[in-house]
Amino acid sequence: MPQTSRLKPVILVVSRELLMTALLLLGISLVVFSIVYLAPGDPFEALLGAQAGAADRQAALQAMELPSTWYGQYLSWLGQLLQGDFGASLRSGAPVAQELIVTGGNTLYLIFGAMLVSLLFAVPIAVYSVNRQDAFSTWLVTMTAYLASALPLFWLGYVLIYIFTHQLGIFPVATGLHTDQPLGLSHLLLPVILLGIGNGAVGEILRHLRLELARVLGEEYVRTARAKGAPVWRHALAEGLILPVTEMVAAKLPHILSGAIIVEQVFNWPGVGRLTWQAALDRDYPVILAVAVVAAAMVRGGSLLHRCVYIWINPRASREH
Amino acid sequence: MLYRQLSLQVNESTQLAWWRTADFKDLLFIAYGLLVLLAVFASYLLGVMHWLPQDPDEIDMGAIMAGPLSSGHLLGTDFLGRDILTRLVLGIQAYFLPGLLAIGIALGLGAVAGVLAGYRGGRAAAVVLYGSNLLDSFPRLILVLLVIAAFKADIYYVMVVVGITAAPLVASLVKGKVHALQQKNFIESAVALGIPASTIIFKHILWYNCRSLLLIQATLGMAEAILIETSLSYLGFGVQEPTPSWGNMVQAGANYLLQGNFWPSTAPALAILATVLGFYLLGDGLNNILERRR
Repeated sequence: MPQTSRLKPVILVVSRELLMTALLLLGISLVVFSIVYLAPGDPFEALLGAQAGAADRQAALQAMELPSTWYGQYLSWLGQLLQGDFGASLRSGAPVAQELIVTGGNTLYLIFGAMLVSLLFAVPIAVYSVNRQDAFSTWLVTMTAYLASALPLFWLGYVLIYIFTHQLGIFPVATGLHTDQPLGLSHLLLPVILLGIGNGAVGEILRHLRLELARVLGEEYVRTARAKGAPVWRHALAEGLILPVTEMVAAKLPHILSGAIIVEQVFNWPGVGRLTWQAALDRDYPVILAVAVVAAAMVRGGSLLHRCVYIWINPRASREH
Repeated sequence: MLYRQLSLQVNESTQLAWWRTADFKDLLFIAYGLLVLLAVFASYLLGVMHWLPQDPDEIDMGAIMAGPLSSGHLLGTDFLGRDILTRLVLGIQAYFLPGLLAIGIALGLGAVAGVLAGYRGGRAAAVVLYGSNLLDSFPRLILVLLVIAAFKADIYYVMVVVGITAAPLVASLVKGKVHALQQKNFIESAVALGIPASTIIFKHILWYNCRSLLLIQATLGMAEAILIETSLSYLGFGVQEPTPSWGNMVQAGANYLLQGNFWPSTAPALAILATVLGFYLLGDGLNNILERRR
């Protein structure tokens, strides 16, 4: 097949993925907006007092030049969102975007570190056990996966702190939000290991990798490669390992983000998780709203990346549908 | 592989009884899971009826942080000298009914969406896929915290969110099942026989072919509900002290754990581990026996 006609469907399918992602981002903003819109009570209740009727509210809306219909409010909120304006925190009055930037870096370290730890744990076990499909190793993998999911993350965190910080004195624990004390690798290591191993995601990653690897190694093209003496790994790597890894990274990102809230709580880690927790306590919904939108957008980004890797590895996909 | 294809064509009635063909391991998993289920249900009833070993708030000054098997306290006492076993039994109330609500929503919504996507196909399938991708985008705990901040910290509100966000998985499984039935010309034949669509959907698709799948998802759903509830009450948004929940018991004992008194925090953590593991293994065993056979 000539090069030009091969490239065209790829562009088509990638642009379709982009369109889908854009539609989903729009849906995400709508879901988040409707949760806050449907919530009982609004700032005007506090502003005007409980006796204020619908007419007073309408007058206040007009005086402040705010749109009175729900779609008007949604569109103006969306417009601000697209300009990077997430509104102001009800608690501190500071712009939410600024708070997210201050804490976001710490959480990104945590998430990417945890993902790395999960993969460093799961990939070798999957590769090692894939050719050993006997009952015992299957049982061992299954049990490891379920134990990792069932163990309460927060309890495991305290046990790790007790052993490594209090008894062995190796890893210091970060304290408090917005500390001036710089966070080093020694602060990061324990939370990253906890989130990477203790989170339920690692078990599912392990099982999925093992299953996919076994499936690809049984495919006919791998068998042909084996028969003609070609290195099996070079043929099976892309579809058997890289693809499932990106798929799992994309699929388990929300899981890890949820887990980060708990891990940051255990370790007093000054990140977005602590920020979200504090905001939920104070019912500071502009902050959580922003966190939800950014987190969901990250998940969509990860998913888009996975789809691109999929199309790149498997060009046939561009002729599907 | 060939065996599986062949066994697809074997009539159900000629197959051996399921306990003859089942793995010993799966039977063990199911036995443990049923034991956990029974223990949880019995303890829940005991808690509701107030048939408890001791008063959950009674402070035993003579036995503060007693270990397990100490006199008068089978599972020891916490940092205030309260009986841990009693508090563990009462802690089940924090998640049991809310968990059932989450399961009901997940199964109901998931089954409807799955049948719609599989049976109608086309535009309906596209809408369901869009909705599933949308719900899967949100980290569950962040969405739960948003609802808590916008509405109130009520476990039933939380479990509605948990149920809705668990629905996409159920929907995709049901949809896959419907597709498998379509490939066997099962639905086509039913339509040709003049069976009304509602009978096909409810009786033939959902009841005859999806009930084991839904049962398995229900057990996994309970495990998820326990994990979410304990995480939330650990974070301080669930049941508040002095009312016990497994999550706030771990949290309350955490400072003592860091001083080396493991038990008050570890007992509820082990309860979480044993129970969640029980529901997972029950689901896994049932899955191996009921679904792989087909």
